[in-house]
Amino acid sequence: MKILKWFGIVFAGLLLLAMLGYGFLEATKRVEATTPEDWTPPKTSFGHPSFEGVWSSATLTTLERLLPVPFNKLNLNKLEADTIERGFRRFFEGDQAPSDPNAPAPEAGENVGGYNTFWMDPGERLMVVNGTIRSSIVVQPSDGMVPYRDHARALLDDYMSGVAGEKARLDGPEQRPLGERCIVGFGSTGGPPMLPVLYNNHYQFFQTPDHVAILVEMNHDARIVRLNSEHLAEHITPWLGDSIGKWEGNTLVVETTNFHPSQSFRLAIRHQLYMSPEAKVTERFTRVAPQEILYEFTVEDETAYSEPWRGEMTLRKSNDPIYEYACHEGNYSLPGILAGARYEERKAQALMQEQGAG
Amino acid sequence: MNRAIAVAVSLLVGTLGLASEEIEKPNLSGVWQVLNTANYNIEAHMAQASMQLMEGPFGPLPARELVPLGAVGAVPSGLGVVEGGALPYQEWALAQRNENRANWLDRDPEIKCFLPGVPRATYMPFPFQIFQGDSGMLIAYEYAGATRNIPFEDPGEPPADAWMGQSWARWEDDVLVITTTGQNDQTWFDRSGNFHSAQMTVVERIRRISPHHLDYQAEIRDEKVFTRAWSMRMTLYERIGTDAQLGQFKCVEFVEELLYGHLRKEPVSDTPLQQQQP
Repeated sequence: MKILKWFGIVFAGLLLLAMLGYGFLEATKRVEATTPEDWTPPKTSFGHPSFEGVWSSATLTTLERLLPVPFNKLNLNKLEADTIERGFRRFFEGDQAPSDPNAPAPEAGENVGGYNTFWMDPGERLMVVNGTIRSSIVVQPSDGMVPYRDHARALLDDYMSGVAGEKARLDGPEQRPLGERCIVGFGSTGGPPMLPVLYNNHYQFFQTPDHVAILVEMNHDARIVRLNSEHLAEHITPWLGDSIGKWEGNTLVVETTNFHPSQSFRLAIRHQLYMSPEAKVTERFTRVAPQEILYEFTVEDETAYSEPWRGEMTLRKSNDPIYEYACHEGNYSLPGILAGARYEERKAQALMQEQGAG
Repeated sequence: MNRAIAVAVSLLVGTLGLASEEIEKPNLSGVWQVLNTANYNIEAHMAQASMQLMEGPFGPLPARELVPLGAVGAVPSGLGVVEGGALPYQEWALAQRNENRANWLDRDPEIKCFLPGVPRATYMPFPFQIFQGDSGMLIAYEYAGATRNIPFEDPGEPPADAWMGQSWARWEDDVLVITTTGQNDQTWFDRSGNFHSAQMTVVERIRRISPHHLDYQAEIRDEKVFTRAWSMRMTLYERIGTDAQLGQFKCVEFVEELLYGHLRKEPVSDTPLQQQQP
């Protein structure tokens, strides 16, 4: 997970570039598709608003508002957005340029990174919600930050410090993040809330009169929402929680509780989120345009947060099908990570013995 | 009066032609499960002490690693689901199947919680749920959280091989015909080592035969492994009432000890993989 640190450095660098370029850029006119006010969503054959199809949440917008002045506000203007997007574009173009064949070999032991941007698909644009360009997914509290209580923040910090580096927890597979273990996708991609990650940000909706099933691309997980149903017994805590839903006009309202205790730490490069098993997530899906689902969610968790927090996103229609994201079947990383740790231990032990003998 | 209504309705249906046809397609949505032992062996088989046997002084015994399982590790009998007798393996392939069977513990992808492939996903001893939408359907399997997203039009050649392959569906009258290609060669048909190549095409035909039963047929075309196409056939039973809800069997975490136990800082069990990799 050294890539986490690496991505953080790149992200900070991009912001710096973006700010240097700020003011020198021409404001490019952004043409947003407008939907007529009398537009109504298409209906399924049984009369429910239709979400059928594949949708993407890929965006440069992050969960929390991490941007510095002058970008640290919910709504960005076109000039500000263009500046940020251009910075990312330059970074991606630069990273995808052919390598210098005359470059020297890296120093032994140097961190060469996990993968380059060829493997990433975080989108090229900031998220536009209700016609405004957003700097963060969190809209409430107004500072755009998840309102952690101190102990919850400390839990998350402690967890993060154990992912990589000197304090890395590597004694067994259970200590590694769920994404590394291929149990669910990275971060909170399967959610809920379903948050954008570095790649594989697609969801496919399937509807019947009594269910909505959301196929989460990573890792081929079906979120099965039972309409007009009741939650499972308290001690039944599936991965991705237990979701029940109902229609309120054109809006699908989904309530999720019964979270798996091991899904509290949701770790991705783009976001790190802690939710206790006591959390309740309420999602509201509304198709507001042919190409857009407005995705709003509220997370309530008195043990973890000082107040409920809310996020807003836009899911955009994709014309491409979802292809299988198999993970566990080819997971060479997890045994590699553990074997690497054992190798380091053996090496350290041998060194100690050598020194003892010497 | 009733007759008048019937005539009016039939006229209306006749006028609406295409629309009525679409509306009348059977709806296969629901939670389904087989009641057979095909996952042990798709061919007819007797009950036996264990999936993997070793030579004993007076006949076969359960393989050493499986002895502690006792009756729980035994195999229930089955009439088989293959139509027309034994599987038409090519000679080399039959030898391969027998070798697979003798090495079940090491080789069956189910043991490692790998995705089951098609058609094995259908007759795993777990339910699956069909969500039939207007433009496609999702089949969510309880086993391993496997899924198939199946459009109602041909998406063309699969871009690459996948564990569950690429499926698409069309109606032939009241029969849903699902064609699956692009599966890799890593999945098996059952615990008995029956296998296929990556060239396999599976054509499933699903027809509702009662309010709660589906007739399920899967034709296997794989010239690399078999001498001819062959089919398996079985009944799918609907889970109704409070049973009509999928549980979750994401087994990846259950096999971490098997796959990675030898890589713990302090190993706690003596798994076959540990024996292989000192």
